[in-house]
Amino acid sequence: MSTVTIRHITKSFGNHVVLQDFNETFGDGEFITLLGPSGCGKTTMLRMIAGFEHPTSGELYIDDQLVSGGKTFLPPEKRGIGMVFQSYAVWPHMNVYENVAYPLQIRKEPKDKIREAVERVLEIVHLSQYAERLPSQLSGGQQQRVALARALVAAPKLLLLDEPLSNLDAKLRETMRFEIKEIQRRIGITVVYVTHDQTEAMAMSDRIFLINRGVVQQSGTPREIYNQPCNQFVADFLGKVDFFKGEVRDGKIVFPGMGGQSLPYSGERTGRVDVAIRPENLSIAAEGPLTGTLETCYYLGDVNDCRIRVGETLVRVTAPGWTAEEMKTGETVHLQARNLMVFPDDGLLEEMLTIQT
Amino acid sequence: MRLTGEKITKIGLAVCLALGILCVIYGIKGQQASSDSELGSENSYQAIYALSGNAEKTWNTLESDRGSLSDDQRTQTDGSVRTLVRDFWENRKAGAGEEIDAFLEENRDSEAKLAWKLLFAADMTGGPKVSAALRKKLAGMPSEEQQLFRRQLLCCIADESAALPDGTEEALEGLTGTDRDAMLMQLAYTSACAGNDQVTEHVNQLKKSVRDREKQLTAFRMIATGEVTWLWQLIISNSRTVILLGVALILDVLLLALLMAADRNWQLNFKWVLILLIVDFLLVFEVLPVVYMLIKGVFPEGSFSLETVRRLFSYPMNLEALKNTLIAGFATMILGTMIAFPLAWLVGRTNLYGRKFFRALFVMTYMVPPYVGAMAWLRLMNPNVGFINQWLRILFGLSDAPGPLNVYTLPGMIWVLTTFYYPYAFITISRAMEKMDPSLEEASRISGAGPVRTILRVTLPMMTPSLIAGALLVFVSAASCYGIPSIIGTPGNVNTVTTRIVEYVSMGQQSINDATGLAVFLMLVALLILFISDGVLAKKQYVTVSGKSVNPTIVDLRRWRTPLTVLVSLFAVIMVVIPFGVILTTSFKVDVGKSMFDAANFTLANWTGVFSRGETISCLKNSLIFASVAATVGLVIACVMSYLLQRTRIRGRGIPNFLITLGSGTPSVVIALGLIMTMRGNFGVNIYNTAYILIIAYLIKYLMMGMRTVVSAMSQIHVSLEECSQISGASWLRTMVRITGPLIFPSIAAGWFLIFIPSFYELSMTTLLYSSTTKTIGFQLYEYWTFTSQPMSCAMAFGILLIVIGLNFLLNRLTKGEFSI
Repeated sequence: MSTVTIRHITKSFGNHVVLQDFNETFGDGEFITLLGPSGCGKTTMLRMIAGFEHPTSGELYIDDQLVSGGKTFLPPEKRGIGMVFQSYAVWPHMNVYENVAYPLQIRKEPKDKIREAVERVLEIVHLSQYAERLPSQLSGGQQQRVALARALVAAPKLLLLDEPLSNLDAKLRETMRFEIKEIQRRIGITVVYVTHDQTEAMAMSDRIFLINRGVVQQSGTPREIYNQPCNQFVADFLGKVDFFKGEVRDGKIVFPGMGGQSLPYSGERTGRVDVAIRPENLSIAAEGPLTGTLETCYYLGDVNDCRIRVGETLVRVTAPGWTAEEMKTGETVHLQARNLMVFPDDGLLEEMLTIQT
Repeated sequence: MRLTGEKITKIGLAVCLALGILCVIYGIKGQQASSDSELGSENSYQAIYALSGNAEKTWNTLESDRGSLSDDQRTQTDGSVRTLVRDFWENRKAGAGEEIDAFLEENRDSEAKLAWKLLFAADMTGGPKVSAALRKKLAGMPSEEQQLFRRQLLCCIADESAALPDGTEEALEGLTGTDRDAMLMQLAYTSACAGNDQVTEHVNQLKKSVRDREKQLTAFRMIATGEVTWLWQLIISNSRTVILLGVALILDVLLLALLMAADRNWQLNFKWVLILLIVDFLLVFEVLPVVYMLIKGVFPEGSFSLETVRRLFSYPMNLEALKNTLIAGFATMILGTMIAFPLAWLVGRTNLYGRKFFRALFVMTYMVPPYVGAMAWLRLMNPNVGFINQWLRILFGLSDAPGPLNVYTLPGMIWVLTTFYYPYAFITISRAMEKMDPSLEEASRISGAGPVRTILRVTLPMMTPSLIAGALLVFVSAASCYGIPSIIGTPGNVNTVTTRIVEYVSMGQQSINDATGLAVFLMLVALLILFISDGVLAKKQYVTVSGKSVNPTIVDLRRWRTPLTVLVSLFAVIMVVIPFGVILTTSFKVDVGKSMFDAANFTLANWTGVFSRGETISCLKNSLIFASVAATVGLVIACVMSYLLQRTRIRGRGIPNFLITLGSGTPSVVIALGLIMTMRGNFGVNIYNTAYILIIAYLIKYLMMGMRTVVSAMSQIHVSLEECSQISGASWLRTMVRITGPLIFPSIAAGWFLIFIPSFYELSMTTLLYSSTTKTIGFQLYEYWTFTSQPMSCAMAFGILLIVIGLNFLLNRLTKGEFSI
């Protein structure tokens, strides 16, 4: 178990700033996820912790020991970290046992101790019977577990994972997600996990750092980030969300795009706002503040994915699956809303849209 | 903090630059000083004195040369020695001749013996170390003989004594002065036999050491007398080397400063030092020779003149050579590509029987020395005794007159060139064909096009860049080939640029200018093609390589499968089996014109000869050593380059890469000629007639083959494999040894062999750069073919072939089947 303290780290390649002023402490035994779209700088941060990249400025401490910063630079091999690479990096010329034993051999541990440790860790990742196999004889998921075993075998205090599940199929990804979390819980290791998959992040993390274009947008528990996003980008990145332009007036938010219909509002924002509503936070009810026509409804089993036209705006609503019978397209319905996420209309939404298109 | 680092670097650079400039200035001054006539007058004395240090060694060589002569030859050589010693004395002093005449008259019966004795005496006086021994020897002589001996020595010293500085007279009373004469006599002896290659070699070596030692000795003398400082002396005695060092230093500093400025990073990076080291090596041994030759082309005598160019186009033999080269290159290109494309398609993309076998067979031809093929086809299509001609005459009942085919013609040469260079196109095309994403063709099929139309409309257009690249490679290889034209063209008076160049070089200094003109022409053609295929075509490669392994779709030939297999087999028999078979059978013959199965014509003598002749063995040893050294050095450079190219983003890593590519694209003959013209000491480096010049030539020509192999292997190893080892606690070195090393080992082995094999049997460059002590097996074979015995050279050729195949097999085993050539 160890802590990672990051002091105002900035990283740029030439004129291009990849990461700006990252300043945070990862606590003992925490499962930290760096989340963000590709190219946001999350992998760069991870590689700086590992020691593969030098920060342009700022300092990095592992357990209060300065490892990067100023004139100090501790090379990766001296940092005592475990790491799983996106490509797994399982050495094709060594069998499973040799791959996993490698970090211990480097440490010149006695042979019997190595055997013991390797067998234990292979047990953990359920690969005991594959010890003599070559990587080419393993499936993707098995290779991934070899990489994990190798990262864990030397009992590092800190484990770095760089999108370790992105090359696996959906089913396997779910199993591995669970296994990694389970192992972490059991050995109580500090984990820094990089991913662009929000489900992974939500399921595993104690804390998520959402990064966009080199800047940490928000950090917090999955629940905080999901329910109280600090800006439009965060709201949009996690889960499904629809944005509506509105204006706060007399304890209400009026939506010009919905023919002037409004929702009650008691927050402190004033003037023109961007309102983000998640489809699962809207429900079809006998009566409600918004009124519209049910245009389409797709039955997905667990839920119904509905589009309701309110004024000129299409609103997405997730309704429980068992209500499918009651859905009739063309009917007039009423909507109730929970958990409105209201942001000032500062142009960020438009900026996001132009970037997407 | 960073500012100080930056300042230190900048100051360091400035100091190096200043040092470089100083080197150049003082080098030039030093050169003026050493060519100063006042110094010069004493130089010869000093130099020869110094030279005597080598005397013992030289004598041993001479003695063994003499031992290997036949009785007749020895008498003849002794005679010419005698004449020369006499001539020598006569030239040195009027009247000395008579004195010698009288002397020889007295000893009429043993003139030759005396001449040798004289030389022996010279040897004994070789150098200060020996002089004590000589004194002893003299003391032990009967007085009569001693007198004779002294007399001889006096004769030798003769004329120059007048010009000798004060005190030399006294030295002459002792034995010191005789050292000079000893060496002069050796010089006389060696030049006596100037007709003989081996001895010319000694002359060259002696002259060379005279030149080198001359300056050093002047230096030592002047230091001793306190005239100048040791540093200045060092500069005088090595002025050209100093200039070269200075220029290299200035270029390095400028390049480094440029890189640092572009990077805005003023910290000295070790990788830049690596780059500069490689660049320096290539600048001296590749760029300097080539650029010098280009300049020589338009400044033949130091001033601008188009005389060389004019001669190039006005002298009919040269014009003929130019024409032949272009025609041969062009025809070979067309013919070779026409053979290679269908073959590559049949072998790579259809269900032809034995595709893998055929592929291996055709690719292997690539590794066979071209001259071996030339020898084979000569045996087959010789107008009188060629197998094919004999058969055709029987078949068609023709008269016994020569023909109908004659290999000693331009078409004959084109045919042989084609048989040896079509694999170049075959390899390029089939590689691209196998890499092509099969879905592109599948899309054509699903759109309704049949297999033939798919080939014509999709495959062929997509292959065009590779096709052209392969064709151009064939053109430039055929145009710059020396082995085949020299064996086939020269006897039939079909000259090409390469054979003309070699001929000009062997004619001596005067004709070097003509050689330069031809070489410049050849180089420009080659560079143009390199530029087209690397710069223009490379950008147009349509071939899409998808991340996953591609299994190209296989076209079912159906009823054509058997006939086409037969056709390809027939082709393989004509191209591979018959030529090599002919080489093998010829090696067992006494008379090449008769059948091997004629009992009287069958012999193993050629083979036993190959294995028992000391010269052959020593040539083989040379080849093995030179090729091993070239391959090992080349591979070290290749590994460094791969690391720089694949694992760093260091600025400037492309420069050595570019130079290495340029070197491999330069025709062999051009590289060799450039080295001859620049590496004789005129630029401060004197490696002429040494093994180094051969090894360097091989390196420059073949380095890229090794480099490309290692680079592509490295590019296939994901960086994370190395990073993961580092995070496991392994140092960089350990990671290289345990992870990267084992992973790229097959490619390292392959890269080594790719440099080793062509260096091992190289002929074109060796022909120009060899010396008596550095003959290689390839050149030996060529000499045997041209001057001695064709069957024996066939035995050698087959031996080389076996070695190459053996190495290929070894490589295959070593890399677990991943590589073979």
